[in-house]
Amino acid sequence: MTLFSLVKWDPRCKIILMACLSTLAMLRGEVWFLFGLLVFTCLLVMLGGAELSGALGQVKGLLGLIFSLFIIQCFFTRSGEPWLVIGGFTLITSGGIELACILSLRLFILAFSALLLLTGEVRDYLLALVQMKIPYEIAFMTMASVHFIPILREEALNVFYAIQLRGCELQKASWRKKLHTYLEICLPILVGALKRTRAMALAMEARAFRAYPKRTYLRRLVLKKNDKAILVAVPVITLVLLVY
Amino acid sequence: MALEAKNLYFKYPKGKKAVLSDFSASFLPGELAALTGANGCGKTTLTKILLGILQPQQGLVLLDGRNIAELTLAEVGRSVGYVMQNPAQQLFCTSVEKEMDYGLLNLGLSEEEREKRINYYLEYFQLSRHRKSFPFHLSLGEQQRLLLAAVLAMKPRYLILDEPTAYLDVYRRRLLGEHLQKIRTELVCGIIVVSHDRDFVGEYCQREVVMPGAGMVENHVDSPQRRAL
Ligand SMILES: Nc1ncnc2c1ncn2[C@@H]1O[C@H](COP(=O)(O)OP(=O)(O)OP(=O)(O)O)[C@@H](O)[C@H]1O
Ligand SMILES: [Mg+2]
Repeated sequence: MTLFSLVKWDPRCKIILMACLSTLAMLRGEVWFLFGLLVFTCLLVMLGGAELSGALGQVKGLLGLIFSLFIIQCFFTRSGEPWLVIGGFTLITSGGIELACILSLRLFILAFSALLLLTGEVRDYLLALVQMKIPYEIAFMTMASVHFIPILREEALNVFYAIQLRGCELQKASWRKKLHTYLEICLPILVGALKRTRAMALAMEARAFRAYPKRTYLRRLVLKKNDKAILVAVPVITLVLLVY
Repeated sequence: MALEAKNLYFKYPKGKKAVLSDFSASFLPGELAALTGANGCGKTTLTKILLGILQPQQGLVLLDGRNIAELTLAEVGRSVGYVMQNPAQQLFCTSVEKEMDYGLLNLGLSEEEREKRINYYLEYFQLSRHRKSFPFHLSLGEQQRLLLAAVLAMKPRYLILDEPTAYLDVYRRRLLGEHLQKIRTELVCGIIVVSHDRDFVGEYCQREVVMPGAGMVENHVDSPQRRAL
């Protein structure tokens, strides 16, 4: 079900919205509030027509991390009333549970609000950042690093395959062996990444990056009426929620 | 005994069009086959499927009669040697010597045998003077030779080389071609070479599998001295 289209929103709106959601998530510390915020974010992503199957796939990877953080928080925070006592030793306290909930909710909100950004194209965000008066170099670097994460992943996989094809049994290996292999992979990936950044810098300069202080852009982003409304309303609501 | 692809259908999750559809081919031991076709027609993709790195949505790959999906990559690696298109992405050791030794150690060979093979292959591909070098500081052609040496030293029964001559000079290309001929006849190794190099294909390959966009046409390289250019 799609009520409005996130794809059509101005990228600046999405950036602001994400920044506001994350700020709220980090600064407010009540479970009920964070839960409401999470529901709101989810609704926004779902009703906005973000591709949910893909979106869930992105969040799935985080689940394990969030779950383990939840457990750790539960066990290592000692405050409030004891909830579970085994053999005279307090295992879980109400304070621990609360903190664990807050932390997990925050992470979920961050993840879902980042999904908002996935509804746009990278070059649009680059343009948005530039039109928000952020220096082009910095905007470009930020976007380039986002762009390169999947490529780094692919390279890591290639090395991983190469290691296995040369006879290193990983699927049946002990965790020590696995760890050792992962550390081995780090080297070629780091070297590759460094080499490529150098090559990319050269290639960019060869194509006149920063040769002139000002550069031109093929397109300009223009704010529509509802974009303007969002740009004003979202920060105001955020401020109100923060003060209240 | 063969490396067979049966009715493969493959589409990348993010791709719009199927790269392979109903593709079948078989590669025999003791044969040097060339896999050719235009850029982006799916040669690299096919090689990755043949090794079990990518899983086809339909069809299967048989390695000497065993379904490759049931083998681990390491098990496949013991019978099939693979040199990928991009040399830098397959090096992971801190010296040329260790890079050579890695696969041999995994095969469980004796110290003596390993030493013998390393010496032979480094000598053959003229890398002896780089023995202690950091692999990432080699030139592209040297990296490619190092990889060929490291994989060939494992003496696999099948060999898949993706653009093995891309960075090699004329002389090194001939060294490679002659060595491939030698292991083809002496070790009855089945070799698949992905190549845009008409000279190399004409001179050393017995059979050419041409991949069009989807499906395939097969024809034989009739005269070994054929020059396409
Ligand atoms: N990871 C991927 N995701 C989506 N599409 C891909 C991916 N890798 C390759 N493709 C697409 O699949 C097609 C086949 O790619 P492949 O690398 O197999 O071509 P190739 O025949 O090896 O070409 P070349 O001669 O340039 O090496 C191409 O159109 C490519 O754009
Ligand atoms: Mg290729």
